[in-house]
Amino acid sequence: MSDLMTVVLPGDDVPPDDLPKAQNKKKALKLGPGLRHIPPETITTTIAGALVTDARKNAAWIEYNSGRVSALPSAPISVQPIVILDHVCHSRPRQAVPSGGSIGTQLTLQQYLASVGDLVIATVLSSTSEHFNCYITPHTHTAALPHLAFEGANRKNQKKLPPHSLVYARIVNSGKDSIPEITCVDASTGKGEGLGPLNGGMVFKISLSMARRLLAGRKGGVSVLEGLSEKMGFEVAIGRNGMLWVDAGSVKATLAVGRAVQEADEQGLGEKGQKKAVDRALKKI
Amino acid sequence: MPLDTSTYSLALLRLDGRRWNELRRLHAQISVQAAASGSSYLEMGNTKILCTVSGPSEARRGAGGGGAGSSEGNLEVDVSFAGFSGVERRKRRQDKRTTDLSHTLTSSLTPLLHLHLYPHSTITLTLSILSQDGSLLAACINSATLALIDAGVPMTDYLTAVTCASSPSTSDEEAGDPLLDVNSAEEQELPFLTLGTVGREGRVGVCVMESRVRGEGVEGMVAVGIEGCARVREIVDGVVRGYGKRFA
Amino acid sequence: MPRETEISVNERAFIQQALQENLRLDGRAFDAFRPLELTFGDEYGVADVQLGKTRVIARISVDVAVPPPERKFDGIFQIIAEFSPMASPAFEVGRPSDAEMVLSRILEKAIRRSNALDTESLCIIAGLKCFALRADVHIIDHDGGLVDASCIAVMAALQHFRRPDVVVEGEKATILSVREREPIPLSILHQPLCVSFSYFEDGEIFLIDANLSEEQVRNAEIIVTMNKHGEVCQIAKYGGATVDPLALLNCTNVALQKVKEMSKIIQGKLEADAKKRDAGGLMAELSAENER
Repeated sequence: MSDLMTVVLPGDDVPPDDLPKAQNKKKALKLGPGLRHIPPETITTTIAGALVTDARKNAAWIEYNSGRVSALPSAPISVQPIVILDHVCHSRPRQAVPSGGSIGTQLTLQQYLASVGDLVIATVLSSTSEHFNCYITPHTHTAALPHLAFEGANRKNQKKLPPHSLVYARIVNSGKDSIPEITCVDASTGKGEGLGPLNGGMVFKISLSMARRLLAGRKGGVSVLEGLSEKMGFEVAIGRNGMLWVDAGSVKATLAVGRAVQEADEQGLGEKGQKKAVDRALKKI
Repeated sequence: MPLDTSTYSLALLRLDGRRWNELRRLHAQISVQAAASGSSYLEMGNTKILCTVSGPSEARRGAGGGGAGSSEGNLEVDVSFAGFSGVERRKRRQDKRTTDLSHTLTSSLTPLLHLHLYPHSTITLTLSILSQDGSLLAACINSATLALIDAGVPMTDYLTAVTCASSPSTSDEEAGDPLLDVNSAEEQELPFLTLGTVGREGRVGVCVMESRVRGEGVEGMVAVGIEGCARVREIVDGVVRGYGKRFA
Repeated sequence: MPRETEISVNERAFIQQALQENLRLDGRAFDAFRPLELTFGDEYGVADVQLGKTRVIARISVDVAVPPPERKFDGIFQIIAEFSPMASPAFEVGRPSDAEMVLSRILEKAIRRSNALDTESLCIIAGLKCFALRADVHIIDHDGGLVDASCIAVMAALQHFRRPDVVVEGEKATILSVREREPIPLSILHQPLCVSFSYFEDGEIFLIDANLSEEQVRNAEIIVTMNKHGEVCQIAKYGGATVDPLALLNCTNVALQKVKEMSKIIQGKLEADAKKRDAGGLMAELSAENER
């Protein structure tokens, strides 16, 4: 992971010097979100953010934090990752993108786009005979959550979820022409693995990059939750759609956890800042 | 353009000869129209309103938001002014005042009705204002309450409303006497508020004031308004009971 | 299919529970406004208000028009408030929602009907020409408290605005450009400001300046408009759950206190802005440099 960061704007040509040098000629340069390859050799950016490179993996991508400050995300920005092998473009499924830091822009709009395998916190809107209609992001098409896609659910024993309840689910299908499908069960094991309805607690809105960094664990460089967990117990669920669900038993504790993460997110706190935020949060309880 | 208030300050009688806490003649009837599910006709002085209720009927598609929104019935209010209702003939049918009126009626009556009993349905209130002479919102609320009772829509309690004005004070220090149930002449000259209360305890359901008044004046107006609402409630209650006796 | 998204059951329960424990999500006191930020544009009559995450910009513009025949001695003053999809995807152009209607009606009653602006001062030649003033309210970001923020924005913009001077000779009126004559401020008679009270738990708990999620959970709201002289310009409680009359009266007392505080902030900002401009003007006059 490189410490060096170059700020780029959409349409900028990335100079070849900024791209990682391939130690191994065989290993193709991998382009992550926000970069586009124009044959033969030009690489341009499609989004504003910081250029991040990884020499070991021979990869480059744009780190952007467009956590909308307001409560509701909007205006889709589509990013298709590409992997280049000897000047031939192949579209590949999304890669897990770790990051070292981010550049926050206030009031930029971004909406989560469903992609297969992502964990999301969805809100149940209504129920039909076959599935629940859930929304992953407000004001977009609903996703389908089959009644049988819960741990231990069968024809006779089905979950009942009232409207506006929350579920932690994984996206199994996000076709361009069909509505996304989500599930609360691992198809291979039949176990919930932590997925399912979320009871109690509180949802906090966080930026998409924060959600991504939280899910990336150690690599994400966010230590707020780890720091807090050393001193107190709480449950969290992180949705890639920019939602953080926290239940720490009491209102005060839940608020402290949620606010600490939001603080780290909005102010783009580094390691030290996060430690301080954790201390402040613990003091409140 | 001050009102000639000399009559009031001298004899403590208002322009139409009422005392400060006197209501105008309130006459009401229910079941006046056979075709509607419920209907009422109400006169507050010279303000005359005909109100009909239709429904609960199947909700129109697209209305009420669909999805989870339709697990409760919804109330639609349609207010129309007769062309001859005021001194001047009205040109436009819909204006901001009309939408404001219907919005106030919708949001004040909705929490009183047990709409969860009527999922996927709509109750439509149609108010025709035949003649206007002040206290329009109050009269609309009272007639809508009566019509809803006539239609047999379950509701928690009566919502009754009156207007209350603050008469110009003789001295600068204290606010003027509150006047109950204003007519249009008083409405144009004096600051007034419309107050609607629910039930016997006199909890405030609606409170709308559109004109500027000294802060101290509000207290008196609200106090007199609550008293007036209780009296209107008695009259309205009498109308409903009187109608019920015919079946007994 | 834009629609206002409803809050989830978890959030609803949590907010209610928090209020029971005397806590608000953002840690404010029950009777506290969010931090108010007010900035003025380079031009006269542009005010940008940020109330927490809610952001509203008001802009005043002026034109010359013929006064309506029934009001010969008055100018024209309009407040136009529209929701744009920019603030929230739930807003749709051309289909005014209830919230939008409430906003424009409240602004109308609070500012126009309470005669905050002396419209007679906008008259140029009675019956022939007058200034037509227009206040456009743009909602940039919606996180609750739109009425309060919009009212602050319009009033601040009105006080910030300067209209061009005019010279009348008989039936002929000449509008003097800003360069010829220093533009003159509007004559503001008083400064109404709105305070929204949201109440919960059957009128047991009152909150000032609720944010969007609190607005979605509340039983009903009361909007009180007052000026710092203690005059109530407007009260609006359009239904919703019922409330104790004493609590209603208490709202006017609390509102007065809040309005006084906010008036002071606005006045302070206006003075700071005027000072900034004044210094600029003097410096420009003294400067020997030519514009090339």
